[in-house]
Amino acid sequence: MSDGTRRDSGVPVSIPDSSIFPLLWVVAQKQVVLLLRYPLNTLSRFLTMFIFFLVVFFGGQAVAGPAITDTLDGIIVGFFLFTLAITAYSGLAWNVTREAQWGTLERLYMSPYGFGTVMAVKAGINVCLSFLWGVALLLAMMLVSGRWLTFDVVTVVPLAALTLASVIGIGFCFAGLALVYKRLENLFQLVQFGFVPLIAAPVWSYEWLTLLPIAHGSFLTRVAMSDGVRLWEFPASELVILTVVSVAYLAAGYYCFVFASRKARREGLLGHY
Amino acid sequence: MPTPNHDPTVGYPTNETMTRSDGPGREAGPPAIRLDGLRKTFGSGENAVTAVDDVSFEIERGTVVGLLGPNGAGKTTTIKSMLGLIVPDAGTVEIDGIDVHSQPTRAYDRVGAMLEGARNVYWRLTVRENLAFFAGLGGDSPSTVGGRHDALLEQFGLADRAETVVNELSRGMKQKVSLASTLARDVDVVFMDEPTLGLDVETSLELRAEIRRLADRDDVTILVSSHDMDVIEDICDHVLVLENGRVVADDEVDALLDVFRSQEYRIEVDDVLPAAARTRLETAVDAEWTAERDDRRRTTISFTATGGDEFYDVIDVLREHDLPLRDVESVTPDLEDVFLELTAEDGQRSTAESPADSSSPARPSRDGEPARDGGAEPARDAGEELERGDRR
Repeated sequence: MSDGTRRDSGVPVSIPDSSIFPLLWVVAQKQVVLLLRYPLNTLSRFLTMFIFFLVVFFGGQAVAGPAITDTLDGIIVGFFLFTLAITAYSGLAWNVTREAQWGTLERLYMSPYGFGTVMAVKAGINVCLSFLWGVALLLAMMLVSGRWLTFDVVTVVPLAALTLASVIGIGFCFAGLALVYKRLENLFQLVQFGFVPLIAAPVWSYEWLTLLPIAHGSFLTRVAMSDGVRLWEFPASELVILTVVSVAYLAAGYYCFVFASRKARREGLLGHY
Repeated sequence: MPTPNHDPTVGYPTNETMTRSDGPGREAGPPAIRLDGLRKTFGSGENAVTAVDDVSFEIERGTVVGLLGPNGAGKTTTIKSMLGLIVPDAGTVEIDGIDVHSQPTRAYDRVGAMLEGARNVYWRLTVRENLAFFAGLGGDSPSTVGGRHDALLEQFGLADRAETVVNELSRGMKQKVSLASTLARDVDVVFMDEPTLGLDVETSLELRAEIRRLADRDDVTILVSSHDMDVIEDICDHVLVLENGRVVADDEVDALLDVFRSQEYRIEVDDVLPAAARTRLETAVDAEWTAERDDRRRTTISFTATGGDEFYDVIDVLREHDLPLRDVESVTPDLEDVFLELTAEDGQRSTAESPADSSSPARPSRDGEPARDGGAEPARDAGEELERGDRR
């Protein structure tokens, strides 16, 4: 892959593509194939979230009556982001555990692209696919509730992507922990539930909350979708803070992952389960 | 390590992408694998266990080398260190002259590894999808490997199961898929940890033939770790024996067998040995005998001939005493005998480190090394991890 040629002879042999395309292609293909081959598995995840929304929506109506509409936008956007976040996070943290179980983790490590790149590509593809579910769920929620939110792709996608960048950072961090400490399923679940308060965090009241992962992005996405604010209509400072914080979490998480994989290799734990 | 006869010019006939570019000039390059002073200790203080202790060797291109050793000898740690999956405390590992630990991604461009037999493929993907995935993971564009994969599927007898989900295949088939996926892209060096573990005899023989063919026809260098001595003796040109993290033998299979070529005989005679005959046999060949005294007057004489005329000396004694021969059986040592000899725990272990004297192998003590429990690799052998059921 490094140079596309055999070093000892200089003659190309089954030329490894020097681009990242082969990796992107096969990772995406695998994900799509599994989605289509095991539709029940895929559908059950979607239905779980949808039923959860129905319980909150109709349960909320029963308890709070018409007042539920005051927070309905937040609930819909919150569920939308939660779906995305769970998929992005589990694509890393849970995936490392599963790959170790399957005996494929070490093969991923031995990719000429590098382990970090492989995992990043897996996470990226996972996020892209998660948008499909997120949008499908969003449509279903809006249909049931009758509350139609603004979905400006140019605004929502970048904001959601930046929000998910911090989630991916957290995913990398816990994937790293899984490399070293293995069975962390309970911890993974706790972290997942931790996304709920972060998504609902009252950033408008407490500015320091913008420094937490997810919170700021969630707030801006909610504003964009319920008030129809376009990306360029947000104050630049808000977008800068969101970008810096998200990238910082992503970088920190990735560093944790690299550090943990070194530790796992030093202790001979990579691939163990 | 000498390079055995191979024909590196022959490639896969069905696909030009599988034809290797290696010409005669290939021999002049660095060895396929070079280890120098590899050392790895797990834990610290009183709990420290040295899994690999100053291991050095070189493996020439196009050879099949067997890595042997009892459980906990350091085989898996050595292999994983060679692959960069374990960071050694000291020493260097080069594959095709590339330092695995300082330039891992460059080294991985040339390496394939089958570490956990049937386990290390995706069971929810089809056979062909697995090949495509691991080729892409190695950097090969999907558009260039279709023909190669067709050839591999044909070669491994998987062509008619190409579109079958791996989960539905037998264990032997899964193992073949694993090996095929390791070869799904063009690699120079392949590591195999227990490739035939759990396979039935027929599948094992097929897999051995494929491994041998890879080296002979495609000049791939293959390092095989196995407990199955038949496999090693059958397919390997060269053997490395590890014990307590150290190399105790590094030689060609035939040379190693020659070192222990002492021939054991069992001769059965239809009579009881007279005292004079017993004395002469004891003196001549240190023979042992067992007599059957019930209704048959029969004696079995066992002795080891280390070369020379011992066998004829025994026959002469029997003839002089008119002892009628009933049966003569010779027992030739195989690699398993050699292995057991090398790794014997009784302090009488022979060594092949100085195999020059093939008629009388040296039997030194254990290098003055303090005894260890042989458990240097806690739960690291592939076999211990193979039985975990899972879905993927």
